[in-house]
Amino acid sequence: MTTETQIETQPEKATIIVKRIDFKMITFTLAGKDYGVDIMRVKEIRKANQFTHVPNTPIFVRGVDNLRGEIIPIIDLRMMFNLPAERRDETELENIIILRVGEIVLGIIVDTIEKVVGISKDTIQPPHPIFGDINVKYISGVVENEGRLYIILDVDRIFTQNKEERAAQAPQTAPLAEIPAPSIPEAAEELNLRFFIETLATFAGFHVSPLNQDWVRNRASEWEEKRRSAHQEVQITSEADAREFLSSFYSPDTDRLWDPTSAKNLVSGLDLGQQGQILVWNPGSGRGTEAYSLAAALKWVHPARPYKIWANDKDLLNISSAPSLSFARDQVPEEYLPLMTETKTGWQFTGEVKSHILFEFHDILHLNPYDNLQLIVVRDVLSFLDVNDQNRLIEEFYDKLRPGGYLLLGKNEKLGHDFTGFREVEGFNQRLYRKKE
Amino acid sequence: MKTKSDFPNLNERKPDGVKDDGTPYRVLVVDDSVFVTKQITQILASEGFEVVATAADGEEALNTYKDKYPNIDLVTMDITMPKMDGVTCLEKIMEFDKNAKVVMISALGKQELVKRSLLLGAKNYIVKPLDRKKVLERVVTSLE
Amino acid sequence: MRVEYINPFVEAAYNILREVLSEEVKRGILYLKSSTNPVKGVAAIVGLAGEVEGRVLFDMTKSTALKIASKMNDEDLLDWDDLARATITELANLITAQAVTKLHDLGFRFDLTPPALITGENMEMYDDYKDETETLIVPMETSFGPVEINVAIRERNRN
Repeated sequence: MTTETQIETQPEKATIIVKRIDFKMITFTLAGKDYGVDIMRVKEIRKANQFTHVPNTPIFVRGVDNLRGEIIPIIDLRMMFNLPAERRDETELENIIILRVGEIVLGIIVDTIEKVVGISKDTIQPPHPIFGDINVKYISGVVENEGRLYIILDVDRIFTQNKEERAAQAPQTAPLAEIPAPSIPEAAEELNLRFFIETLATFAGFHVSPLNQDWVRNRASEWEEKRRSAHQEVQITSEADAREFLSSFYSPDTDRLWDPTSAKNLVSGLDLGQQGQILVWNPGSGRGTEAYSLAAALKWVHPARPYKIWANDKDLLNISSAPSLSFARDQVPEEYLPLMTETKTGWQFTGEVKSHILFEFHDILHLNPYDNLQLIVVRDVLSFLDVNDQNRLIEEFYDKLRPGGYLLLGKNEKLGHDFTGFREVEGFNQRLYRKKE
Repeated sequence: MKTKSDFPNLNERKPDGVKDDGTPYRVLVVDDSVFVTKQITQILASEGFEVVATAADGEEALNTYKDKYPNIDLVTMDITMPKMDGVTCLEKIMEFDKNAKVVMISALGKQELVKRSLLLGAKNYIVKPLDRKKVLERVVTSLE
Repeated sequence: MRVEYINPFVEAAYNILREVLSEEVKRGILYLKSSTNPVKGVAAIVGLAGEVEGRVLFDMTKSTALKIASKMNDEDLLDWDDLARATITELANLITAQAVTKLHDLGFRFDLTPPALITGENMEMYDDYKDETETLIVPMETSFGPVEINVAIRERNRN
C-alpha cells in the first residue's frame, strides 16, 4: 500500500491532506500557553535535571549538560522570557527539547512537551503584539490547530542573535570531571518513544499499539544507536525517515510471490478439515502477490479441494491490476511456473488459478461481507489502521473465522493479551493464530 | 448577395420520408419514454416522415395499429415496455399483418430479444442511444 | 466490489455522457462509501438482478438534470415535467445498459429493472445492500454540473 494511491481512493481523507502539511512542529506548553518549534530544529527530547551550574551567566542559563559527551547549555525558557517561574523541586526531572540552531546545540526547558503537529505553512498568521507574553520579534507566527492556538517560536532569531554573548557564557571548556553523569532515566526514553509513535503516525500512517509495540521499541533503540553513530537526527522528520524506520517491519516476501517452500509449509501445517470449500480472506491484498501465493500453495497441498480467496484492497490502482498481474520471469520462483502462462506483458497465473481468487475494491473499515472463513491473511495491514480500528477488526476476524480457523498477522505483529479467543501457533516463522475451538 | 432561392436547385434530394407519390410515410412510434418518442418523432419529421400516432405500451400499440390499418407504413417498437412488451406486440402485429414493417428499438444488452424479434419478422433494429443518422439509415433500409 | 465490475460502469458513464451531451466530460476520482448517501435532488435508480444483484443510482441536482435534459432534447426545458423526467430516466438506462452489456461480454449474467426516478429536497438514500457491501462512487464532471454514479452490487452467492 502506498500512501499516494490510498489518497487517490479516499477523497474524504484527501480533502484533509489537500491542505498540504508542509510544516511540522513540536508543541509544548509554557506558563499555560501553547508553543511550537519547527521540528527541523529539534534534535531530540529528553528529561534531565541537576545541570552543572556555570557562574557568571545570565539567569536563564540553568547550566550545562553532558549530552553523550557534548556539552550543551540548558536554557530555562520561562526565565528567558520573564514568565512567572515556579520554584521547582531540584530532584524533579525537567522536560527538555534539544535544539540545533545553526552550529549550536542547546537545550530548552519547557513545562510539558505535547506532540508533533503538522500544519500548512499557509495557515500561519503573522505574530500580533496581543499575544503578548513574549516579544514579537522572537515569534515567527501563530497558527490554530484543532482548536488550539500555537505560538511558533523563531529559535534562529532567539538563539543566534546573542550568539557571541552566549559563546562567552557557554563554557565549552568546562572540565568533563565536573559534569555529572547524564541522568537519562527511562522516562526520557519513553518520551522519545512517544515521539516515534507520533511521527510514525504522521509520516507513515503507522499506528503503534500492543499489536506492534514490541517491534517498535526494539527498532527505536536500534534506530537511535544507528543514527547517533552516523551523526544523524534521531527524530523522524520526514516520510523518507519513516519509510526507513519501517523498512525492517514488513513480513517476508512482501509484495512478491512467497518463497514456495515456506508457502507450502504454512498451508500444509494448517488443519483445514477433510472436505468442502476452503474459504480464505486476504484484506489489504495490494497488488495481489499474497493471494496468488496462497492460491498456488492451496493447489499444491490440496489439489482436489475447491477453494476461494477473497482478496481486497482500497487502493484502486493496485487492486484493479491484480486480476491481470504479470511478473517478469526472474520474479517467479520455478515451482510457480506450472501454474502460470507467458503473456505479452509477462508471466501470469492461469485462468484456472485466477478463478479461485476474487479481487475486490473494498475498504476493510466498511462492512466486511465474509463469513465462515478458515484462514484470514492480513499481514502488515492492521498496523496501518487506527488503534480502535485494529481492535475492532481483530474482534471481527474472530467472528468471521470458523472455530479452529487461522489468523495470519505480519511477522512483527502480535495479538495483545486481551484476545483470549486465539492461541498462537508456533513453528512457521510467521505470526499465526488459531481461533480456539 | 444571392440567396439560395435565386437558383433552382436541380439536385434537390427527395427527403427519405417522402414516397414517390409525394406523400409522407406514416409512422407509429411505440415507446414508454416520452423522451425517446419525441426524439424519434423529431428525427423522422426532419426527413419528411409523418408520425401519425404514438403509443406508450404494447397493448396501446397493437390497438392503434389495428385501428389505423392499412394506414401505417412503419412502426418503431421499443423492446422493454409495461403491460405488453415490444417483442410480444411485434408478434401480434405480425399475426395481424404479415407485411407489417417494424423496426425494434433496443437498449444495449438485449441481443437475445433483438435476435428473437428479427426471427419474428422485425425488419431491423436500432440500439440506443439514438442518433439521427443511425435512425434514418435503419428506417430507410426497412422500407426497401 | 469485484474489480471487474468497476471499469464497465466508469466507461459507460463516460461514453454515454460524452455522446448525449456532445462535450468532453471529466472523470472524477473513484472512491468507496459505506455511509448513507445524501441525494442531491434527482436520483434515477436502476436495479440489477441475476448472478449479481444490487442497484445503480444516478444522482444530480435538479438544475443539472434540467440542463442535461434540455441538451438531450435540444430545447430549453424550464420545468421538471414528464419530458425532463423521461430524459433523465433514459440517460440512466443508457449508461446502465452499456455497462451491463460489457459485463455480459465478460461472462457475468444479470438483468436490469426499469429505472425509478426520485426527486425531492434533503433526501437520503438507504438501501439494504449496504449491509453487505459498500458503494462505489463514480463522479463525472459535465459543464452542466456534476453527475454522481453510485454503484452497489454483489454476488448473489458469496460462499
